[in-house]
Amino acid sequence: MKGQIQVIGCKSCTEIPQLIDMNKLIEKASTMDLVVSTVLVGAVCDSKSIKQVVQEAKEREVDRVVVLACPKKVVNPALLAAFKKAKVNEFLVEYVNIRDEVVLPHMDDPPRAQAKAETMMVAALQKVMGLKPLETLKEQMRTRNVVVLGGGASGRKAAETAAKTGAHTIIIEKGTKSFKAPGVLMQNSVLLKSKGYGGNFVLTIRAGEKVEELQCAAIVVATGGGWTRLNGPLAKACKSALPLYELDEQIRAGKKMEGPIVIVDSPDPAGKSMQVRDYAWDESLELAIELKRRSTDSDITIVFQEMRAFGLSELRYKEAAELGVRFIRYDATGIPKIDPKEPNVVSVKDLAQGETIRLRFGTLAFASIPANDDNEGIADTLRIPMSPDGGIRHGSIQRGPVSTPRPGIFICGSALFPKTKDIAEEEGMVAGELAGEFASKGIIEYGGSVAEVTQEKCSACLTCIRTCPYEAPFIGIANKAEIRTQACQGCGMCVGICPSKAIELRNCTDDIIMQETKTMLRGDF
Amino acid sequence: MTPRRPKIVGFCCERHGLDSPVAAAKSGITYDASVRIIDVPCTGRVDGLHILKALEDGADAVFVLGCLEKNCYYDTGSIEGRKRVEHVRSMLEEAGIEKERVEMFNTSSTMTWRFPEIVSKMCDVVNRLGPLGKEGDEQ
Amino acid sequence: MSRSVLIIGGGPAGVSAAKALVDRSEGIVLVERSESLGGMARELTCKGVSECRNCGACYVVDRSTELLRDQSAEVLLLSETTQVKKNGNGYEVKIKISPRYVTNNCIGCNKCIEACPVDDKAIFAPTGNGQPRHHWIDRSKCLHFKKDKCQKCADVCPTKAIDYEDRARNVTRKVSSIICATGMEPVDASEVKRLGGGVLENAISSLDAERILNKHGRLLRPSDGKQPKKVAVIQCVGSRSMKTGVEYCSKFCCKYATKISQLLIDQDPEVNLDFYFMDLRTLYEPHDDFKRWVKERKKTVRMIRSMPAVVLPGNDGNLVVRAATETDSEVIETEYDLVLLSVGMRPAGNSKELMDALGIKADERGFAICDKSLEDSGVFLVGTTCEPMDIEETSVKAAAAASRASHRKEGA
Repeated sequence: MKGQIQVIGCKSCTEIPQLIDMNKLIEKASTMDLVVSTVLVGAVCDSKSIKQVVQEAKEREVDRVVVLACPKKVVNPALLAAFKKAKVNEFLVEYVNIRDEVVLPHMDDPPRAQAKAETMMVAALQKVMGLKPLETLKEQMRTRNVVVLGGGASGRKAAETAAKTGAHTIIIEKGTKSFKAPGVLMQNSVLLKSKGYGGNFVLTIRAGEKVEELQCAAIVVATGGGWTRLNGPLAKACKSALPLYELDEQIRAGKKMEGPIVIVDSPDPAGKSMQVRDYAWDESLELAIELKRRSTDSDITIVFQEMRAFGLSELRYKEAAELGVRFIRYDATGIPKIDPKEPNVVSVKDLAQGETIRLRFGTLAFASIPANDDNEGIADTLRIPMSPDGGIRHGSIQRGPVSTPRPGIFICGSALFPKTKDIAEEEGMVAGELAGEFASKGIIEYGGSVAEVTQEKCSACLTCIRTCPYEAPFIGIANKAEIRTQACQGCGMCVGICPSKAIELRNCTDDIIMQETKTMLRGDF
Repeated sequence: MTPRRPKIVGFCCERHGLDSPVAAAKSGITYDASVRIIDVPCTGRVDGLHILKALEDGADAVFVLGCLEKNCYYDTGSIEGRKRVEHVRSMLEEAGIEKERVEMFNTSSTMTWRFPEIVSKMCDVVNRLGPLGKEGDEQ
Repeated sequence: MSRSVLIIGGGPAGVSAAKALVDRSEGIVLVERSESLGGMARELTCKGVSECRNCGACYVVDRSTELLRDQSAEVLLLSETTQVKKNGNGYEVKIKISPRYVTNNCIGCNKCIEACPVDDKAIFAPTGNGQPRHHWIDRSKCLHFKKDKCQKCADVCPTKAIDYEDRARNVTRKVSSIICATGMEPVDASEVKRLGGGVLENAISSLDAERILNKHGRLLRPSDGKQPKKVAVIQCVGSRSMKTGVEYCSKFCCKYATKISQLLIDQDPEVNLDFYFMDLRTLYEPHDDFKRWVKERKKTVRMIRSMPAVVLPGNDGNLVVRAATETDSEVIETEYDLVLLSVGMRPAGNSKELMDALGIKADERGFAICDKSLEDSGVFLVGTTCEPMDIEETSVKAAAAASRASHRKEGA
């Protein structure tokens, strides 16, 4: 295979006197097969050096390059752009991290460091010869739609900010309430199926009685918490019990609630049926303070296991106590119970007193926010991960706090974990903006180092389909696996797991990896 | 005659796997030069075949270094990597080779002490168990 | 490229806001007064062993590294904003860049630190995991700048990165918005002397524990460098307290302390750990999760709902914690190798002139007061400048504020 290799050595962070002799390294490179150009520059990120390198590359008709400097992530993007101009395919450039993998860790062992650097260079030269020029392709995004699942606090903010970026927003809301939305609001609608990849999703929505298909570029999951779901022995025993938000709504609407008012953290104090719950402590405390201010002799008791008044909300805890709100803490040895024969009395063991007390109430509310029942279905449909506690997980923090592992799908608000309205709204704003910007790119760039199936070898075992988080592999018309290149992220999980070795990752084949390993092991250091 | 130096291969993922030796290096921490770092896009790419071939080609010990589980950029990559490593370990056990020679580690970019600790651990394993032998035996 | 937004402060909030803007190809100037990016999060350690515990420490380091590589970001370290003037709809700011005396050639090999003859050293590596990994010289301690003309670090530096000729510079920038991310400082453990803070060697603050873990990978007792076998973790040290004036809850301490506890047990399953707490406020995680984890380790981990009254010295550097039990019925005294005091936070002190020039008012606790008129005038507050928060919440709020700051340029 013909190849014209250029080897570039960077002196700036690799040359340390008595440690690495870059000159020797470059000299050795110039003796190797197919190396047509060797350049030793002061600093490979320097624009003058870049010009020098590129000029040489053009003159010698270089088609592949080995850079002996620092990690690929750190190299100046100007260098990469310059190679493009010199007609060197960006996938035919190998970076050898001499600085961090040889110079720095082996400062105390110069001969070994030199030998190691040489071996790494030889391995890189071999590797670059085995690489194929790859292309990145473009596909048009068919729409500039951003679908927001959920019309709650975070969903509405997401739609707002997505719309500001120029995207057309569609809110899918399972309830019937109507509100002003920047784009389309589909009430009484739920997500049934999802296909496709970031930039070109095809969603199946049940809207009322009809089933519709909807195309979009990005999705924001804002399905919220299970605010009004009351499952548990206490809710069963007291049919008139309210979720806190309803109590709050009614009080602010001016309704007089029958006292005494008792707010219990969970309708399921033993924690058997509910997953992910946090308590609307900010809201409970604010409500209690408000009631006390309106009427100083209102009888309010808050029954809890952990007073999760985070941050400045702690000050409201103090204020509420000073205003005379009663706080009763319980633990697993004396959880709140309601005897069905006395449905307006809750008995609980007050930890502070060590005795069981009976609280007679006129209004009972639960401050808990369980996970949304729909979470599992949505996570399954969109193939995003769940937390073990019933919330949807945002995946790796490397992608950011509102991203999911799938490009183009974002998540915000209480779907992740119940949270206060202001934080949920900010998350919505960020998710919406990211979704909108994603959609406004207009094209999907894909390709490069992606997976590729050799159909003759494929035994259609479906392992790759089950492993891939991005829905890239699918069974095609030949009844063999194929890769939807637009969805492929190039991680190679399918390649590693295929029992028939039918899939290869371009420019990261088994042969390339094993050859590199072999060469490195042959190095004498 | 100087004793044969250990030959250790480390398959490191492009993200936190490679960030780890870089973080160590830039904090002035040094480690044994015996380690050969092979980069992969994700530890999910690592095949049992790569590990076994490394042992056949002269490695005395092999480690796979990926992002912490649930923090993998590709979501389940490092979990897949661990499965491969466990599979290889059980194969080695059946073949009569000490399974401590192959191990999976997870790291993040802030653990400056992690990479040198891993290299040191694998070197210890080789010093304790000896080199893997000229033929390199595996199935 | 014109820089449209000034960001004051390079901690998690500043870095998140900066990253959100540069991802949109908007130019920014980030002014950080210390020598590296990362703020208090620099010193936090990763709390996972094989599974990520979602603490956010690596998030800050990764974003800082990416930010430093981006061409749209002008990151000025060892710098302070000295003057802010209104300029049409935006601002004109003067920034003083103090000399670092070490160039970008620095590779972080630490040879200079070994060679430095000053007792506590005059040349330093970046704090914790702060980025970039270039050293810096504290002129006030350096002998070269006194009559000695010492050159020891320059002599040993393999890449000739020491530059004694570096000088302070003043630069002016025109920006459309300013994001204030001046952050927080930890409550000093020595403010709570009754718990041994600042008095007993092995009663360390949570931040000290993070520093030790960050450096050595294991928690080591300051007195003898050994790994502790019996640890007490005490929550709410300094927070929720009238004495220290920090009456609010510092929000993130339970999250980090529970994760450190889990890390310690992961590293050594035989460690006995007692977790003293008032309320379990594990942020964004159900309290059941930690309680369930504790239950599975009944023999070695206990949760004790109590605020210890006092920590007394024991033998060999050990500590005795005296606490009343949950129901106040008994007083128990337990001996530990190491006591970890989870300290809270206060907003960082800021120059009054700068705050006045920006129109920022502080409440009695020192937190900046966020109000709409401030944002209308182009000043945005992010992070712990306004209220306690952890890294995850900070990153979200900072990104949201950054988005509003950048839209302001187009709109208003």
